[in-house]
Amino acid sequence: MAPLPGIIEDWFRAKGWAPRAHQLAVLEASQADAQALLIAPTGAGKTLAGFLPTLADLVERPGDGLHTLYISPLKALAVDVARNLTTPIAEMKLSIRVETRTGDTPASRRQRQRTDPPAILLTTPEQLALLLSHPEAAKLFGSLKRLVLDELHALVTSKRGELLSLGIARLATLAPQMRITALSATVARPDLLAEWIAAPVPEAETRLLVGSGGARPELSILSARDRIPWAGHSAAWSVPGLYEIIKQHKTTLLFVNTRSQAEMLFQNLWAVNEDGIAIALHHGSLAVEQRRKVEAAMVAGALQAVVCTSTLDLGIDWGDVDLVVQIGAPKGASRMLQRIGRANHRLDEPSKALFVPANRFEVLECEAALEAVEAGAQDSEDPVSGGLDVLAQHVLGMACAAPVDADALFAEVTRAWPYRELTKPLFERVLDFVATGGYALRAYERFAKLRQTPDGLWRIANPGVAQQYRLNIGTIIEEPMVKVRLVRGRGFRRGATTGPIGRGGRVLGEIEEYFIDQLVKGDTFVFGSEIVAFEGMHETEAYVSRSAAPDPKIPSYMGGRFPLSTYLADRVRAMLADPGHWDELPEQVGDWLRLQADISVLPGRESLLVETFPRGAQNYLVCYPFEGRLAHQTLGMLLTRRLERARARPLGFVASDYSLAIWGLGDLSALIRTGRLSLDDLFAEDMLGDDLEAWLDESALMKRTFRNCAVIAGLIERRHPGKEKTGRQVTMSADIIYDVLYQHEPDHILIQATRRDAARGLLDIERLGQCLRRIRKHIVHKPLDLISPLAVPILLDIGKEPIFGEGRESAMAEAAEELLREATGR
Amino acid sequence: MNYREGQEWGGEMVSHILRFGGQVFTPLPSGGLYWHARRTLLVADLHLEKHAAFARTGQFLPPYDTTMTLKRLAADLSQTGAESVVALGDSFHRDHGTESLSGADRALLGDLMAAREWHWLSGNHDPSPHRLGGICRAALEIGGLRLAHMPEKGRPGLVAGHLHPAARVVINGRSTRRPCFVHDGRLMILPAYGASTGSINILGKAFAGLFDRSALEITMLGRGQLYPVSARRLVDG
Repeated sequence: MAPLPGIIEDWFRAKGWAPRAHQLAVLEASQADAQALLIAPTGAGKTLAGFLPTLADLVERPGDGLHTLYISPLKALAVDVARNLTTPIAEMKLSIRVETRTGDTPASRRQRQRTDPPAILLTTPEQLALLLSHPEAAKLFGSLKRLVLDELHALVTSKRGELLSLGIARLATLAPQMRITALSATVARPDLLAEWIAAPVPEAETRLLVGSGGARPELSILSARDRIPWAGHSAAWSVPGLYEIIKQHKTTLLFVNTRSQAEMLFQNLWAVNEDGIAIALHHGSLAVEQRRKVEAAMVAGALQAVVCTSTLDLGIDWGDVDLVVQIGAPKGASRMLQRIGRANHRLDEPSKALFVPANRFEVLECEAALEAVEAGAQDSEDPVSGGLDVLAQHVLGMACAAPVDADALFAEVTRAWPYRELTKPLFERVLDFVATGGYALRAYERFAKLRQTPDGLWRIANPGVAQQYRLNIGTIIEEPMVKVRLVRGRGFRRGATTGPIGRGGRVLGEIEEYFIDQLVKGDTFVFGSEIVAFEGMHETEAYVSRSAAPDPKIPSYMGGRFPLSTYLADRVRAMLADPGHWDELPEQVGDWLRLQADISVLPGRESLLVETFPRGAQNYLVCYPFEGRLAHQTLGMLLTRRLERARARPLGFVASDYSLAIWGLGDLSALIRTGRLSLDDLFAEDMLGDDLEAWLDESALMKRTFRNCAVIAGLIERRHPGKEKTGRQVTMSADIIYDVLYQHEPDHILIQATRRDAARGLLDIERLGQCLRRIRKHIVHKPLDLISPLAVPILLDIGKEPIFGEGRESAMAEAAEELLREATGR
Repeated sequence: MNYREGQEWGGEMVSHILRFGGQVFTPLPSGGLYWHARRTLLVADLHLEKHAAFARTGQFLPPYDTTMTLKRLAADLSQTGAESVVALGDSFHRDHGTESLSGADRALLGDLMAAREWHWLSGNHDPSPHRLGGICRAALEIGGLRLAHMPEKGRPGLVAGHLHPAARVVINGRSTRRPCFVHDGRLMILPAYGASTGSINILGKAFAGLFDRSALEITMLGRGQLYPVSARRLVDG
């Protein structure tokens, strides 16, 4: 192996350090003209490993132009890495220019970077797409030798990763000498990640390097002397205990799964904070300035605890975190490992983590996660294959850079791993979509965005197309958000019941529009760590006032984005099925399971338990698939349709990560007993055929998904120069466009893209399909006279969770009936 | 509560009657308003060729909205047997919208117009007369009513469009928002009829001062059915 250049070796020696084995392994790969995927935990000096080959090469062969491009999922991370890189470069007295490029970089510098680039440029996937769409791209990237991809595991499971893969395929064309070094946390399938980076550069060898694991984390579950609640997500029971634990540590990161849980926990902690220790809150809906303040205080070591959501999952070293607490369902083993890695960024010392279940099912999930983490099991998502919406965006971007040869571009994009199976006809339809909308009815030829030149190249019709493209770039489509502004409540002002609301209060942050949409004036909810009352909408702002209400009226737990992983679900089922395991659980949880065994039965590892029982005037069906909330919601929608056909008169359902409850008027136990309803037929896999189709026809989920695809593909613009279209407006028109398109061209590539996204994301069809196949002929029916102990949590969720299944029309019908009663004096 | 009179319970479908300006109308779930005595169908804000209008700016929205609206109109005409049609303005999304009509849509519209009297009232989107046939005019006064695009206050008996009214009701925590017919006995505003039209809540700023809120009567469009709702039930948003 070639040794490090003297100047770098001296620097290591002066620091009293030695390069680590995996850092040298990356260097060796680089010097052998090979690519490398380095898998190592946080704190292993991964960043330096990524840049050591660049420094070594630039010391020996200084040259002009862009040498190394670094891409990170977070702009904050790019900025942080730049800082960490500048220090050694300065200390080695090297003249290597390092610059970042993010949305915050001044326009003048961004423009200069296109013609006079630094040796090392640190940026994000979106900025790469932007740079590649300029005519200067070929010259800018022609000199590129190294591409460093940071936190690749976090990128490859999303559309950002799809867009990045296409950008990399273009880079490989522009700079055939480019070699990729990717850095990743531990994942379930490192081989797929290695393929992902190998695909665009097939001529080079790709080495998979696995760094040493570091010390084993110390894990525990908060033990409960108090009762762990049956249901709910607030973990309020744990607060006094947690508070004591926080006081015993220097800095504690408390991870929760949703914004509202973060709000609730933060509030509860402050309620017991008699010593006034510094506890802060950090989540994506808070105003940016507020988040920056918290981050700065944390780096300065001024905070003793931060309650946060996935916003702090990735990224920068926040200083001396010595304890990570996961409150509520861990959801997945890999996710937990990554969160735990946020504690103690020093390899040789163990990270310390504490699980806090919020309810009894979560106790089981926490146990399963703890065992999985200790066993080093991984259940991270695999890289995803590419969507046609992202491809459409890329195709237009390439045409903006230079006229496009369709065959050459097709060959290039299929070198991107997510698009390796793309067919030529499908590619041509995407090209057609970009040019004129791709409709069977060729209505828009004369407004074409792309036109074919006599030599067969596709060229943008006018410079305005490129301008428009650059404004709509990227795949992150924000959930439409509205600003929340604190105003003085109407109720407090004398006589002012219909007048305008007081203006100009403080902005508390932003909240999802769909949440605000369900509110009526006077509804209270938790936001910005206080209970507020909704006063009304004013343009794109929601006005709220302080409320004296002790409890919020509207629960805002909408479930986390991540469903329970298949791996953890399997472990939980195994735990339930094995009474020998129950003694290791907290006593009350063990008792709960034993009671279930007495009254009903426990769900088996491979079977599905279905309980039916009457309660009040209604009949309930509760089943326990453990396939995550999304799959259960889909199952609930489809079962309700089938039960309707079987005349069981279902009224609604509610889904959790573990179980699904459907209720209705028909006597389900009797229907099943008399053979008029067969559970095998009810749960038959063919529900994923016609029933799914019929439901998708009317599903609001499809419309919401379509909106994202349409914006990414450029069908709907997200921004116009000068005036920003609000998310609200985009949503309204996207619904209508979906209806029109779906009715007339259900095979349009955007409908295809929407289906794929909905099936994968919101509906989790694949997982539901696997579940239905697994339980076929393994359904255990237990008719009961009363609710079973295991069914208690999900029934308690009714009223706290969104309920599905009651028709949209029913509110209007009830309002009309009410009017009728009023009119007839009844 | 005048719309209750003459309410028929025919099978699953309930047909409502709207009394306004001394006349009797049947509102249709499509958003059209059928005037029995005159055998006339009133429709507002068709916004034909709206998607085609976006194509000029590089947004290739599905070019099927016009066909959808025309088919909806054809169904209403055959169901009601209307002998004349009054389109209350903004029939075309652009003043030159008639030019981009496809051959098939042009033929379909021609068929609909061939058998009956047709009035195109001018709207803010389509102020100029066109040559599609029928009569292009600013407003129409018949049966003691004035039909025009723009709603105004203080002109009793005005039937208008323009504002795309919608109502939102919340019952037991569930909310539904739909286009609606709305009137206060003096002014009636029709919902937008076009397949690709949005809507505005009648409690919003756009409707400020137009109606006597104490006399509001609202009929929401449901799936194949209409729902009269009490003004007390209305919420913003």
